[in-house]
Amino acid sequence: MTGSQRIAAPPLHVGMELRSAARQMTRERMRRYVDAQPTVAADDGRIHTQEPTIHDDDAFARSQGLPGIIADGMISTNWILGLLLDVFGRDAAEKGRLRTKYVKPIYEDQTIVSCARVESIHKEKEEETIFRLEVWCETDSGIKVTVGEAVVHSTDR
Amino acid sequence: MAIGHYVTDLAPGDVLGPVEFVLSPFVVREYCHAVELHQEYFQGSHDQIVPPTLVHLQKLRLYQHACPAGTGPTARVHVEYDATYHEAIRAGEKLRAVGKITDRYSKRERDYVHLEIELRAAADGRLLIAYRDTVILAYSKKDAA
Repeated sequence: MTGSQRIAAPPLHVGMELRSAARQMTRERMRRYVDAQPTVAADDGRIHTQEPTIHDDDAFARSQGLPGIIADGMISTNWILGLLLDVFGRDAAEKGRLRTKYVKPIYEDQTIVSCARVESIHKEKEEETIFRLEVWCETDSGIKVTVGEAVVHSTDR
Repeated sequence: MAIGHYVTDLAPGDVLGPVEFVLSPFVVREYCHAVELHQEYFQGSHDQIVPPTLVHLQKLRLYQHACPAGTGPTARVHVEYDATYHEAIRAGEKLRAVGKITDRYSKRERDYVHLEIELRAAADGRLLIAYRDTVILAYSKKDAA
């Protein structure tokens, strides 16, 4: 889900698990992130590409000891952020913390699901609730490839 | 000190930057397209904000500023992202980033490097994001699984 509003969901409670739709880590998805990097750096209104990387060039990846291209970890980090945005709205982009560790490579065409589990809920102020969550990405076999934690300061607005 | 050489030469205590820049509405939209963040507050032209994950690419900006010789002989592998964000960043806002290499160590014959980046509003110095990035700087063939 990628709408601009929070998803319609029952109130969150400790232990509740949130899961995104499954997505395949295609070559195109990997390449888009590779090209985003020089595009952001140049910031001249045009799309830029870069030299071969381990994320878009099989021969280069093999020269670096990998069996083939692997996804940039920031793709899975952003997919986890997307899940949090679906649940909490833009609050998840404004104040909080996201930590992700890439414990296994994601190879071409692996199916990935972004997940979060509510660890604690704390009312900090009248208008703000702090959610702590365990977050991860897993394959369709349930193997965790990215793990971490998130803190979201959710406002009542 | 490895400033001015390769990224693979960076050592604890090295300071990268500061650099000042603006993240235009265009690059925010392009980045968000690439990572499938299609929310209107990233894609629209009104009150557009920056996804906090975009702080990661400021590492590359700092690398390019501090290490003009380039990456070095081996590819980097990103290991960990850890960002604490304090308030929304607006597209088009002038920003200042500074980085510091806080640790470098070897584990299982791989070189790990920690870089801490502070992203602040250029206008008044407000801290917007504190980011710690961990990479493997040397991922050689013998390390392959």
